[in-house]
Amino acid sequence: MRPPTSLKKEFLKKWIMGLQLCSSSKKEMSFLERKKAIKLSADVAMASARNATTRWSRALISNASKDDSNKGLVECILGPESESLKRASMSLVLCNKRNRSKKISRKSCSIRRARKSSSQMVMASSIAKRLVKKRTQVLKSLVPGGGSMSEFSLIEETLDYILSLRAQVDVMRHLANVTELLNRK
Amino acid sequence: MSSRRSRQSGSSRISDDQIIELVSKLQQLLPEIRNRRSDKVSASKVLQETCNYIRSLHREVDDLSERLSRLLATVDADSPEAAIIRSLIM
Repeated sequence: MRPPTSLKKEFLKKWIMGLQLCSSSKKEMSFLERKKAIKLSADVAMASARNATTRWSRALISNASKDDSNKGLVECILGPESESLKRASMSLVLCNKRNRSKKISRKSCSIRRARKSSSQMVMASSIAKRLVKKRTQVLKSLVPGGGSMSEFSLIEETLDYILSLRAQVDVMRHLANVTELLNRK
Repeated sequence: MSSRRSRQSGSSRISDDQIIELVSKLQQLLPEIRNRRSDKVSASKVLQETCNYIRSLHREVDDLSERLSRLLATVDADSPEAAIIRSLIM
């Protein structure tokens, strides 16, 4: 499944905006500073290209805005919708905190039920379930904002996140290759 | 078992079929599983491959950021190519 060109174009536009802002504000940047700026612009640009339609993008933007030094960059890339987008991300964070406590009580109930019936089949399926649970936790830590999603939303968000990451990597790789070619001449 | 799952999802009533469909879509995206062409891949394997794939994509973004940082720093200031890059990015 190739990432759609419109997504890549949107990402490239916003990324370049961010890069221009970074280099105009600081004349001399260290190697690591520049790398961080490039990476941050890329991540925020990708998230904003999704236009707050996905939870991972909102979570990424709200995480980036928490750091004061990034705020200017985030606002520039988000553009005029930045205020409403930030409000949407903030409300998402508050709503997630409430859902988290509900989830924990539900989980402990099902574990108690599994322990009561100790037949062989239930053991095997409970091991498989534990494995899936463990891997789901890891996935939640990888997808931004994943910590408070239901399993269904998590898989949906993961699909979108992977497609966006692929588009981001493609565009970044092309830019790097072009720059390298131009440098060689 | 399906009743237990619907209880866990609460009021949203997601069917098992919907979850299976999503997982198979995820399977299509993962490079390793797609090449093996087998229909029987366990959920935990799909999740594991997904996590590995996301981690490798993160690493690529990181490496590309490093590469671009190095390239943009060493662009020769006077060449016409530098002017192109500069007008695009800097």
